[in-house]
Amino acid sequence: MNQASLRTICLTWRASLLNRNPILSNTQPSFLSNIFLRNTSFFNKLPAEDIWRGVTAVSNAGKKRGRGKGTGKKVAKDLNKGQTIGLGKNNCIWPGLNSPIIRGNELIYQQKLADNLDRENGIFKLRDSLSNFRMVKLNSIDRGWSGSKMPGRSIGPPDTVGEEEFSSFDTRVLENKIVFIMKGNMGRKRRYSVLSVTGNGNGLAGFATVKAPEVRTALRKSKNRAGQKLINISLCENRTIYHDFFTGFGKTKIYCFKKPEGHGLICHRAIQTICKVIGIKDIYAKIEGSTNLQHIVKAFIIGLMRQKSYQNIANETNLNIVEQRNARNGYTEIKAIAPMSQVQENNMNAVDIMHFTLGNKIVLKKSATYPFYVNSKGHKLYQIKEERFRNQSNVRLHQLVNFYG
Amino acid sequence: MSLLRHVRRLNALQGLQHCRRDVSSAPAKSATLKYDQDPQPLFTDAETQRLLESMTQLQLDKVFRKRTVKDNRSETKFMTNEQLEQEFLMTIEKAKHLLKMPPIVKIKQDTERPIAKDPALKDFATTKYVFTDITFGLPHSERKVVVRETDGTLAYASLDIIKRMNQLYFPLEGRKSYTPRMFAYEELLHKCLEEHKYEFVLDRLTVQYEPYETEFHNLSARVFEHLNESKQFDLLRSTRHFGPMAFFYAWHRCIDDLLYDMIRRDYLHNAVELIALTYKIHKIPVEYRETLAKLQALHPSPAESALSELQGFLRRPEEKQGIEQEIHTAIGKTEQDFAADDISLKFIEEYIASEHSLKKVQLELAVQTLKEINLEKLQLFQGLKKAHGVQAS
Repeated sequence: MNQASLRTICLTWRASLLNRNPILSNTQPSFLSNIFLRNTSFFNKLPAEDIWRGVTAVSNAGKKRGRGKGTGKKVAKDLNKGQTIGLGKNNCIWPGLNSPIIRGNELIYQQKLADNLDRENGIFKLRDSLSNFRMVKLNSIDRGWSGSKMPGRSIGPPDTVGEEEFSSFDTRVLENKIVFIMKGNMGRKRRYSVLSVTGNGNGLAGFATVKAPEVRTALRKSKNRAGQKLINISLCENRTIYHDFFTGFGKTKIYCFKKPEGHGLICHRAIQTICKVIGIKDIYAKIEGSTNLQHIVKAFIIGLMRQKSYQNIANETNLNIVEQRNARNGYTEIKAIAPMSQVQENNMNAVDIMHFTLGNKIVLKKSATYPFYVNSKGHKLYQIKEERFRNQSNVRLHQLVNFYG
Repeated sequence: MSLLRHVRRLNALQGLQHCRRDVSSAPAKSATLKYDQDPQPLFTDAETQRLLESMTQLQLDKVFRKRTVKDNRSETKFMTNEQLEQEFLMTIEKAKHLLKMPPIVKIKQDTERPIAKDPALKDFATTKYVFTDITFGLPHSERKVVVRETDGTLAYASLDIIKRMNQLYFPLEGRKSYTPRMFAYEELLHKCLEEHKYEFVLDRLTVQYEPYETEFHNLSARVFEHLNESKQFDLLRSTRHFGPMAFFYAWHRCIDDLLYDMIRRDYLHNAVELIALTYKIHKIPVEYRETLAKLQALHPSPAESALSELQGFLRRPEEKQGIEQEIHTAIGKTEQDFAADDISLKFIEEYIASEHSLKKVQLELAVQTLKEINLEKLQLFQGLKKAHGVQAS
């Protein structure tokens, strides 16, 4: 009802414009003569391709300076899509263009029809849908460390070489970045550098850094090269490292600690990923200094390789090594026996096995920091008030567990 | 039958409702076997204790087996040989401590012991008043708890109230102020038993109840009866409950299944000890002390054998390489063991022939099989010794 009335108003207004009253036009001659028309601009001087390039691409000089990081997100739109000759803003019948000239015995004349607003809206909608850049949606299982970025993502086992199959292997990307070098004739040349680690989850692992002009090639090459550089890393109880150790590479320093079953991987995400492909399940690692990824990987692998077996430590120190597990009520399990031939003395320097394996280093343990209000009067009062409810949650839980129904 | 079970279940539910307010509640089903006299003097007797300990055995791997704990950290240490020797001794002590048997005592009867009757105080309040002496360091049995009733009577508290007060002021870890569902609901207890979680049930029982309580007697008897039917005796071996279990069977003259299990597993000296314990409890005029003394001379005690097993780790490889030692480890028996087996078999056969054994055929068969295996082993043992030119001592 409303729309119909609106349309009639519009129509009458248009009719009044077309069949302009000569008296009215005579009264305002200055109004018409002051309209300026600029019929040239870059819109009608340049072809569509050039105009689009201005928005979607970066100049060569700009590209060299690293501009236009978002190229590829904007795409040129085809403005002709959805338009047909003969149909336009003015809904008219053009005999010979969009309608036959003679229908039956009747000659058809040019004729104006009611405006069709839906057509224009439809075209706008089509254009909007054309250009929308959509990020590739990844399944959360396939996702890496962050979004749809490569680091942390799995790229499958290395390719088969001859008869060597890497069926139980899994490769994960650790780093994927663009690197430049200067060439005599080419100038700044861009390549992709990929660091990936591959492993069978059972103590066999390798890593490789590879550069290639394309991302896909770099990923593939890095995966295959990692498969060629496998290192055997023996695991303690098939789940953790043999002992705490300190390791470093460049300015990166890593302290690794052996942890009991069920502790999990509490460490930097790169170390986590490496541990997963190697098969380490429980570890705590603290990085000090630089967190350069390449250095972290190298330092960690070197540390793993430098581990000593219990027997080697026992031979070195001439002391027996025992392990007392809380899960076994502190039972003394003998891990290695000292070679008897030499005289044993209680070497005070090597009394603590942690000091020995960390190379006499001591890890700085920061004391806990408390919030500012801890010593305030209000907080003390709060604590006093809360004290009598301190066991309430446990009691409630017990009641729920034991006396339901 | 199903009707009966239904009624029993209803009773159990009522029992639970009752226990919400009160500490004590009788479990749904009571055991058929009860101690008719005070078993304590016989149980705490030194000889009985030695027999029970020997029967329990001390398998370190079982005593210190992996359990689920909150904090499962481990500590790696350097140790000199002397420290290690010391550690071995401590381990054995710890194992002995862990294998301490819960005592078997008679059920304590509750008696009313009024202190004063003050009719003037009648209706002074609508509730009872309980007064507890909470002096630090008093043993729980000596703690004084008195109750002022609403009718003005002042009396010593009943055992229930004393236990509850002790738990309130000096809580024992793991003990609940209500009956655990496991013991209150018949079907839950039954489920535990069907799944052979005997050690779990007995451990919890020991924590929850005192040995002189009716519930303790009832429930432990039920577990032992169920165990005698399922014959999974090995589950309790090397735990603190094996001794009380053997004592229970010996007292109630139903040792035959346990005996059969012992013979089948080649624990002949344990079988002899079990028979001797039965003779001792029921004062049967058979001379067993002589046989026991002989066996004791040939067999080390469980603690000694566990210690020697531990010390074996420290021995050098070259020391281990004696050919005689090698033969012993290959066959699993030494000459002493063969001698001990002969003595034990004689004693066991005497028992089977007597009127005290109930499952004669089964036991005879087991003994026969064991004899054949032993004979084969002995022949092999002698043959090996001869071939290697080791002098028979």
